[in-house]
Amino acid sequence: MPDRRVKKGIKRGDPFEIEVDGEKITAYEGETIATALLAAGRRTLRHTIHKKHPRGVYCGIGLCYECMMVINGVPNLRACQTLATAGCRVETQEGLGRLDVER
Amino acid sequence: MKELDLVILGAGPAGLGAAIEAAKAGVKVGLLDENPEPGGQIYRHMVDSFQITQPKLLGHDYTRGQKLLAEFNTIRERVEYIGGALVWGLFPGSELTYIQDSNPHGVHYRKLIIAVGAYDRPVPFPGWTLPGVFTAGAAQQMIKTQGLMPGERFLLAGTGPLLLSLANLITDAGGEVVAIAEAGKIENWFQMIQGAWGNWRLIADGLRYLKGIYRARIPLLRSHVIVKARGNGQVQEAVVAPVDQTWQPLTDQRRTLKVDTVCVGYGFVPSVELTRLAECNHKYEPLLGGWVPVRNSYMETSIYGVYAAGDCTSIAGSLVAVEEGRIAGLAVAQSLGHLSQMEADQKMAPCRRRMAKLEPLRRQLDGISMPRTGLYGLSTEDTIICRCEEITLSEIKKAIAGGATDMNEIKRMTRTGMGNCQGRMCGPALQGIIARAQGLAISDINYYNIRPPIKPVLFTALNRKIGE
Repeated sequence: MPDRRVKKGIKRGDPFEIEVDGEKITAYEGETIATALLAAGRRTLRHTIHKKHPRGVYCGIGLCYECMMVINGVPNLRACQTLATAGCRVETQEGLGRLDVER
Repeated sequence: MKELDLVILGAGPAGLGAAIEAAKAGVKVGLLDENPEPGGQIYRHMVDSFQITQPKLLGHDYTRGQKLLAEFNTIRERVEYIGGALVWGLFPGSELTYIQDSNPHGVHYRKLIIAVGAYDRPVPFPGWTLPGVFTAGAAQQMIKTQGLMPGERFLLAGTGPLLLSLANLITDAGGEVVAIAEAGKIENWFQMIQGAWGNWRLIADGLRYLKGIYRARIPLLRSHVIVKARGNGQVQEAVVAPVDQTWQPLTDQRRTLKVDTVCVGYGFVPSVELTRLAECNHKYEPLLGGWVPVRNSYMETSIYGVYAAGDCTSIAGSLVAVEEGRIAGLAVAQSLGHLSQMEADQKMAPCRRRMAKLEPLRRQLDGISMPRTGLYGLSTEDTIICRCEEITLSEIKKAIAGGATDMNEIKRMTRTGMGNCQGRMCGPALQGIIARAQGLAISDINYYNIRPPIKPVLFTALNRKIGE
């Protein structure tokens, strides 16, 4: 697996794992979910509703909503604005995503 | 509902400058930002859990930011900082609403300073929705604050000094820049140096960037734009072409570059959603980034008690933004009776002097980097214009042929601008597309009507009473 983190000049804390579509990837404290995914070479974060096109991070500052993913069961969360936490579960969002609501 | 004398929206350079001056004068200030910590986009620092052993990566902006944040920290106890606050509406009676930790909140204010900054100008072209196409600002942010290299082989395309600084940032951090496509005329950069005369720090920055590009042997393609990104599921190559005076690409001399990442930076668009919600008058100023709120010299808009400062009012960069913020903060302090008119004017004088010194450079930069109309002709029939609702150029053209004359009619007919980004990504280009189709000036095209919520919010959060 590639690791696109800048190593020169930066010391990170301890790594931990997050789960993306059932696969384990590494993240460090302070990283967003988008960072952990891009560092692992995963660029497609969702597929669009109508045309099923792949989309990934675009604006990086929380305005474009292109990086929406299903995070711990909640859809439409921006991966570029959500911090990775140990053990969090992330899924590629298909279309609108699905929210499991207790009835 | 919370009561505050002054609410400042946005904790970047302008918002911090305003908070510092107003709080020093004794105003009860609330400072709101969507980020947990103050600093805005430009002064957002590397995550705290990272240790930086090579500060070169972070550059002069970092030092300037640290200084401003240190000044803010001297008065921080007197400011109510509300981080992680997503502001979604302004309502009659000087009320604003925001969501924090999934809970709804409201504030009643006497004075409001809007200092929400700007974002990279989105320019549609075939392939711009592919994963691997980022805004220049996004790439800069990922490297500087997250220590992430978002690709391996980069094409930087657009206009202005950000591309040069980004090329250096990527190279210093170990990435490869295959080429820089600058739409403007590089010859004009010598004028820019004239404009920067006296601002030695900025000239030194500029020369350092050029030297870095020369040393890394990065081809600087003059008067070139990106016309296409291609790839199976993500960027695998990009096509660049030379442009004419209007930045319309010439059909011959196209060149394909093997790159996996494209960073696009055609300057910035002021974020005017909140000044529009506040019903401030706006004017179209292409040199300042597009539609901007009209203000007097005290940064007050056409609405009494509503001020605006920094890049959300005109693209001039962080150095001007902080001065505008300070002036707005002082003006509010004066209007609330904490300072006499004379005291306020005296305190504003050095800010105005520093702004005047930056003015010539700003005018030069604006002149070179102002987007030309040819940019809005890059899309082909099936290019997505509205990323959220997946609306193509041909659907928009069909709406225009069917009688739609402005952005709001196209919105109603096609859903363009109704998605999650609320028109931020398609709006600036849509104006250009309509203007081209109808042979009008962009200033003749009315912008989208802005309504709350200006960002998506959960119904479950709205369904609760404020303060419950």
